[in-house]
Amino acid sequence: MPSELSVAATGSGVILPLVAVLLGLAALAALAPVSRANPRGLSLGLSALACLGIFGLGVAVLISGEPVTAQAGSVLGFAVVHVRFDSLSAIFLLALGVAGAASSVYGIGYTAHASPERDRAAVAYPLFLASLALVFGADDAFAFLLAWEVMALSSAALVVGASPSAGVARAGYFYLAMTHLATVALIVAFAILASAAGSSDLAAFGAAAAGLPPLTRDVVFVLLLVGFGTKAGAFPLHVWLPRAHPVAPSHVSALMSGVMIKAGVYGIIRFGLEILGPGAEWWGILILAVGVASAVLGVLYALMEHDLKRLLAFHSIENIGIILIGLGVAFLATGVGSMTLAAVALTAALFHTLNHALFKSVLFLAAGSVQAAAGTRDLNVLGGLVRLMPITTLAFVVGAAAISGLPPLNGFASEWLTFQGLLGAGAEQALSPVARSASLLAIGGLGLTAALAVACFVKATGVGFLALPRSPGASAAHETSRWMGAPMVALAAACVALGLAAGPVAAGIAGIAAGVVGSVAAAAPAAPAATTAVTSVGPGLGGAVYAAGAIGLLLFVVASATWFVGIRPRPARRVPTWTCGIVPEPAFEYTATSYGKLIRLYFGRILRPTREITVELHPGTPFPRTVRYHGEARHVVDERVYEPLHRMAVGAAQMARRLQNGSLQLYLAYAVAALVILLVLAR
Amino acid sequence: MMEGPTFAETLVLGTIQVVLVLLVAPLLLGITKRVKARLQYRRGPSVLQPYRDLAKWWRKEAVESDTASSLTAVAPAIVLAAFVVATLLVPIVGVRPPLAGWGDLLVVVGLLALARFVLALAALDAGSAFGGMGSSREVAVSALVEPALLLALAGAALAAGSTDLGVIAQTASAAGTAWFTPALLLGAGAFAVVAVAETGHEPVDNPDTHLELTMIHEGMLLEASGPRLAILLYAAELKLVLVAALFAAAFLPIGMADRLSPVSVVVAVGAMLVKLAAAAVVLGVLDATLAKLRILALPGLLATASIVALAGLAARLWLPA
Repeated sequence: MPSELSVAATGSGVILPLVAVLLGLAALAALAPVSRANPRGLSLGLSALACLGIFGLGVAVLISGEPVTAQAGSVLGFAVVHVRFDSLSAIFLLALGVAGAASSVYGIGYTAHASPERDRAAVAYPLFLASLALVFGADDAFAFLLAWEVMALSSAALVVGASPSAGVARAGYFYLAMTHLATVALIVAFAILASAAGSSDLAAFGAAAAGLPPLTRDVVFVLLLVGFGTKAGAFPLHVWLPRAHPVAPSHVSALMSGVMIKAGVYGIIRFGLEILGPGAEWWGILILAVGVASAVLGVLYALMEHDLKRLLAFHSIENIGIILIGLGVAFLATGVGSMTLAAVALTAALFHTLNHALFKSVLFLAAGSVQAAAGTRDLNVLGGLVRLMPITTLAFVVGAAAISGLPPLNGFASEWLTFQGLLGAGAEQALSPVARSASLLAIGGLGLTAALAVACFVKATGVGFLALPRSPGASAAHETSRWMGAPMVALAAACVALGLAAGPVAAGIAGIAAGVVGSVAAAAPAAPAATTAVTSVGPGLGGAVYAAGAIGLLLFVVASATWFVGIRPRPARRVPTWTCGIVPEPAFEYTATSYGKLIRLYFGRILRPTREITVELHPGTPFPRTVRYHGEARHVVDERVYEPLHRMAVGAAQMARRLQNGSLQLYLAYAVAALVILLVLAR
Repeated sequence: MMEGPTFAETLVLGTIQVVLVLLVAPLLLGITKRVKARLQYRRGPSVLQPYRDLAKWWRKEAVESDTASSLTAVAPAIVLAAFVVATLLVPIVGVRPPLAGWGDLLVVVGLLALARFVLALAALDAGSAFGGMGSSREVAVSALVEPALLLALAGAALAAGSTDLGVIAQTASAAGTAWFTPALLLGAGAFAVVAVAETGHEPVDNPDTHLELTMIHEGMLLEASGPRLAILLYAAELKLVLVAALFAAAFLPIGMADRLSPVSVVVAVGAMLVKLAAAAVVLGVLDATLAKLRILALPGLLATASIVALAGLAARLWLPA
């Protein structure tokens, strides 16, 4: 897009209307009658261009250092669009731009054969992108809530499509219910802030928040955490996420997991840290605890999954947990005025947000390709895709290594910073011993998470893509179209590039983080730039660094030398796998379920696995004809919290039904009774 | 940062370290096997046997499964590279590691995870049940190991005020006996337990087992042959040096050279050899005297290590210095 790039370089004022026009055209194209060949190609293509514009907007804001503002429309005196994209917004715009462009292009190939019914929801897609961009820039509580609501509704429409099956409709309903409960919490929090500020302007919020009594501030904080935590998928408000994300079309799943849940992270930083902060120490400890619980439980439940997209959805919860750990330290550090530590921790959170948008998108897109090619996303019947779908496999492996936090890829750099944040908090004398202990305990939790993530992605990759295919569908799989392949490769390459260039990237983010942290406590001295050397990530505890590019290069050199000296000159003879004299067949391979067995047993107290074995015998003999195994991990929160709540809600509705039986006389009697009561009370 | 050796001194000490580490790695396994054999009233193979084994595998033909992808061929190179780079980040001869300023202890732990990821993935490539067994056990055990490893190292990092292993070793050398606080000793104990698990020795894994059903690490190597097996075995030997050196750098930094003089280099090399040999002997004694724990009993042992490491951190935080 040469025209847009030149706009980005000269002035950013043009980009915003351009993006709006592109998305509007995309919405129009989605409403147009379905053409035969590629029903929504035009709409998605325009959306991809708009995402490039969004990316350009982010770049323009970062380069110029000046926020981009815009205001349009008004309802009852409230601005409908009132945006101010500053450098914090820009990071989220970059994530949206990259993941959105890749997902849109992928969508062109993915929806080429979509059913017309499903396709009717396509108009929601440009709306979804537009609302995401507005959420990341809204400068007014009303405009924020409006964009937030459009985001929720459009994504729900994309999840369920136009004529959903019962299971999908239930997932969509669950998602809508949870997201609206979250919005209620946000509305209450904003109402408290707005009444104190006498305005719905975010700039006024900041000034008003400082004057609130401590108890009110605490209440607002908890409401914000509930509202944004639900959207982010933080434990124990995560239950909608593993239901909604897997049933959405894969390019939408990629955007929801990669970008939409980050709106929750954005909200916590913007409203919790920037406007409301610095807070009491228990705020930080609470976020830290929620983060560790999300991370550990997210990855544990992911390990129990054999549905590839549900597995990825649980990993979103895990990664949100990692981001929240960074945020928790940032809250703790700003509370005691330790600004360098706060900047490091916030850099970790923001960097991981960006990284997760990249690798989670590539993983969801690859999962969509697998589903399209093999007709299933059940790992236990997949396998052998590495020969049939080499590009998809390569993209998935890179994404898997990145999300597992392995050097030299991007996931490791942000996890390194998160660990440094925790160690820094553990060493910070100004914090209470309780907060320091919590930070050090979280090191164990984060270490456990990292190791389990490796386990889970070895499982997903090894079982899903390697060895022999386990079903006819998997053996008939074929590489998907270039529309789907190219975005995956591009995202995977971005994971590698961001990993190797982690030093400069982290330095850039650190500058933004220092700005945010500096605005939190204007009284405290401004945080120094959080890196010593641009070439490496840092500084950590005592000035420790991670020279990402150099380590990556050295790994490559040593591995290449080994390859050329030891492996390449001696090509291996290929023979069937030795299986003790029997012809190898896929049934010998470990499945996703058997791969997770040991971890299921090790963490049985948490996972409480159930198993059911049914044996059917040959009639009249003791010999089994079929043996069926069914096992699953039980989700404690679902069972102990949400199901009782659900029963209570249904019970309350039943009670209410008695009052509302359809008899007109009774309703008139209610009206009379209400009138009498009011008259008595108002007397 | 503290006054340390100059760049030239680091370069020379680093070169000495690289050459020595790469040379002595197989010797440690030889010592372990020899000690184990002697304790079992066997003569046992020569301590040089691992070198002969490597030479033998290096000359043999490589065979791979016909279902294997290119990962099977690439994996040994990545695993070896991860361990080689990791050893360069640990101070072994000098107080500053050869790659001072490139990475800290978290990078070393990350490189261990990289090697584990690649090896565990390659083990699934052939589609054999044994590969799956070894691979799934390796990742499950490492999930118990990694928290303890990080918590134990965090204790040393907090004591030195840095996660940079060079700074830790320098601070510790300068502190003398004051370094060995109760908190640090608790961390050292926890590290010692998980080091045994990480390197695959009794009571967690039996490196000499020939029964597939009990294998962890060996199960993942079952499909490897020829030069690739040699590379993977050598990588495992290097990992033993790496873990022992990590322990020495964080918890027992005695005798390391902080400047380049003939005496200090001889002392440093001697100290390093003694420490590595001691680790090899201890592992041999463990291999010979301990029975393998049931795999379901491992959380008991390894979670204890995590708790001991946490106790060390708590002691650092709550006890008066």
